[in-house]
Amino acid sequence: MISSILEHILIHISFSVVSIVITIRLLILLVNEIAGLYDSSKKGIITTFVCITGLLVTRWIYSRHLPLSDLYESFIFLSWSLSIIHMVPYLKKHKNHLSAITAPIVILTQGFATSGFLTEMHQSRILVPALQSHWLMMHVSMMVLGYAALLCGSLLSVALIVITFRKIIRTFDKSNNESFSFGEIQYINERNNVLWNTPFISSKNYYRSQLIQQLDHWSYRIISLGFIFLTMGILSGAVWANEAWGSYWNWDPKETWAFITWTIFAIYLHIRTNPNLEGVNSAIVASLGFLIIWICYLGVNLLGIGLHSYGTFTLTSN
Amino acid sequence: MVALTLSPTKTLFLNSHLLHSTFKPHFINPHSTKTHSLHSSRFLSFNLVTCKLKSPQDIKNKDKNISKKIVLSEAAPSLAEKRGDGGGGGGEGNGNGEVRAKSGGSVMRLVKRFPRKVLGILSNLPLAIGEMFAVAALMALGTFIDQGEAPDFYFQKYPEDNPVLGFFTWRWVLTLGFDHMYSSPVFLGTLVLLGASLMACTYTTQIPLVKVARRWNFLDSSEAIRKQEYSDTLPRASVQDLGVLLMGAGYEVFLKGPSLYAFKGLAGRFAPIGVHLAMLLIMAGGTLSAAGSFRGSVTVPQGLNFVVGDVLGPTGFLSTPTDAFNTEVHINRFYMDYYDSGEVSQFHTDLSLFDLDGKEIMRKTISVNDPLRYGGITIYQTDWSFSALQILKDDEGPFNLAMAPLKINGDKKLFGTFLPVGDAELPNVKGISMLARDLQSIVIYDLEGKFSGVRRPGSKLPIDIDGSRIVIVDAIGSSGLDLKTDPGVPIVYAGFGALMLTTCISFLSHTRIWALQDGTMVVIGGKTNRAKAEFPEEMDRLLDRVPEIVESSRSEEPDNVSG
Repeated sequence: MISSILEHILIHISFSVVSIVITIRLLILLVNEIAGLYDSSKKGIITTFVCITGLLVTRWIYSRHLPLSDLYESFIFLSWSLSIIHMVPYLKKHKNHLSAITAPIVILTQGFATSGFLTEMHQSRILVPALQSHWLMMHVSMMVLGYAALLCGSLLSVALIVITFRKIIRTFDKSNNESFSFGEIQYINERNNVLWNTPFISSKNYYRSQLIQQLDHWSYRIISLGFIFLTMGILSGAVWANEAWGSYWNWDPKETWAFITWTIFAIYLHIRTNPNLEGVNSAIVASLGFLIIWICYLGVNLLGIGLHSYGTFTLTSN
Repeated sequence: MVALTLSPTKTLFLNSHLLHSTFKPHFINPHSTKTHSLHSSRFLSFNLVTCKLKSPQDIKNKDKNISKKIVLSEAAPSLAEKRGDGGGGGGEGNGNGEVRAKSGGSVMRLVKRFPRKVLGILSNLPLAIGEMFAVAALMALGTFIDQGEAPDFYFQKYPEDNPVLGFFTWRWVLTLGFDHMYSSPVFLGTLVLLGASLMACTYTTQIPLVKVARRWNFLDSSEAIRKQEYSDTLPRASVQDLGVLLMGAGYEVFLKGPSLYAFKGLAGRFAPIGVHLAMLLIMAGGTLSAAGSFRGSVTVPQGLNFVVGDVLGPTGFLSTPTDAFNTEVHINRFYMDYYDSGEVSQFHTDLSLFDLDGKEIMRKTISVNDPLRYGGITIYQTDWSFSALQILKDDEGPFNLAMAPLKINGDKKLFGTFLPVGDAELPNVKGISMLARDLQSIVIYDLEGKFSGVRRPGSKLPIDIDGSRIVIVDAIGSSGLDLKTDPGVPIVYAGFGALMLTTCISFLSHTRIWALQDGTMVVIGGKTNRAKAEFPEEMDRLLDRVPEIVESSRSEEPDNVSG
């Protein structure tokens, strides 16, 4: 009983802290960089991390098995791994805006885990026979870590696409305007353009292209890391399936979707090898991967089909 | 006129400063012109024109040389590809082609070219990406269409008069074999194509790339170094100090005179080949699994036997039975573990294996996640069933009552049996019904169908119903076993191991650094193939630690630029 109250407290603290942190991060990104705010958001993320860790440990002690056995627990673990990925730039003392882009995913998972959908699952359950294996820890933790890293990386790619296309739309608008008023103010504006506008625009463009490049590089790096975790997760799952289900590959829906995710990110990595297709093209594939991870992670469980139906929940039960 | 002609001389002078030796002969002329009169300026201009004509050309030439050098190091796959195709470095296919071409005419030349062309098409990156997309799409489709149903199911689900998305009917499903997607010719064909692409890409692109990456190449001009993705200049430093620092940072460092070449993470270049080979290994293992396996499942009541060979059925044309198929399996005991809440925690089956002579060769209690392996055969615990209920009626017996499965809803099983009371020959016979969800407790209903009690098997506690006294002696379960042999598993596991290792190594970034001592100045350039975000920061940190040479180059007093 005490542990369930403790869990309750911890989960609500972490949820509210995450939401505050996101507000702060967005303020910093949109308005201005204020050192004090930056510090507080840093503290906030560490608080979240500690809270979720506490939550997982409580649950572990309480249920006497690793808290990875159903969807609710894996969601908590997902937001825990996402917060780890968040912490990395802070520990390395990088001051960048990348975490403002990836932070919302934490609140999303955390919010979903606490929301009404999964209330039935809040009570930790017993382990079904098939899950009683040492592979559980290896397989599920690797998969969830992989999902977390891939979600972060592909979210950076989504941000890249948004920024790039906003730029294209803007330049399109601008060129339209110019052609419209070209005859009238050409002579008046010529000097001004040369003297003032050009350096201003170019410096702005310079920062934007730098941001885009940074997003590109980081999303590639994080996706590569997530790809390693995903590979390990799928392979350990295959070895486990050979112990429990009779074959290392059963074409179970969840398995298949994990493999689809893997293929999509393999495509991403291959596109990266061609320098002409870097940037937006690979980012489109990565954002496709973003959708597919959610299908793989949630969609298959929503349908509750196949052998992986441990974390099934029904929407009508509420 | 003079002013016009003079300005080029100035630019020329500046240019020639960069290209030390080549323009020295022309130097004298521009200097002398200053003292000459207007008349000679014509001559001068002529002279200058030649100079002008010559100088950009020379610069171009020099540029060409530089760019060529860079091509050698950067885009060498194409270069190496050419070389690889040129007979000597070619594979078996090429050799065969050559022999034939000598004897035959132009047709043979075509034959010779054909494999190379196919190789070229297969190793095309967009094609490979397309194949991967196709595989992903087919797999996704396979999860949306219910697999392995009877044709009638598809007639109903994808009717012709109301097609899904306006065109997708059961004809599509059945002609393309999408009712068994993962063994359909379309899917397998795409996989084979992907495998071929994998091989072609490894052969034509990846291996030459490594050959190039392994070559140590020094860059001898500061311009070439400045053209790298990362470049920096240290005004007062020595290239030796930089080399020592790079070595400390884990680089392999090579020094030749004033130029330095260093690299790190070469394994990151090799690893993708390993990834591809591991994928091929897994594919080969998977094919062997599909073609050479035996599978079967059996539900055996506790206490009975079965022969392995009777259960196993071949899955492909390569399946060949072994001696171990004569083994007889005896189910000594089947039992379940329960949690306090009454839910099943684990299933166990105690198995004994006997050879042809009836000698016990192995005994093991298997459970879910803990199969038995013997002679290439694996026996899994996958299912269970309620076989029979052993009862005493009015202290007679024991009788075995067969249990029938009543409702199977997922894992929630329900079994029932019926004990007739009175004359069993009568048309509407009445009796006692017994229901059970597991082997733990039996629910008993009387002749009217009213609940009369719950008994545990083996508790020896009798229950009296309508004058007859019933004792439930035992509940006999039957164990659901899956059997298989799979010769592909060792190969697939080897592939798994290799894939895991090589994917991890692939994360390493191959970094190359060039540096050139130019007087007291050191020009540094470098590039990396993966860690492009971290690399400049890492380099900045490293270069901050390069000691600055304070006075002239002779009195070297190392001093840290920044702590």
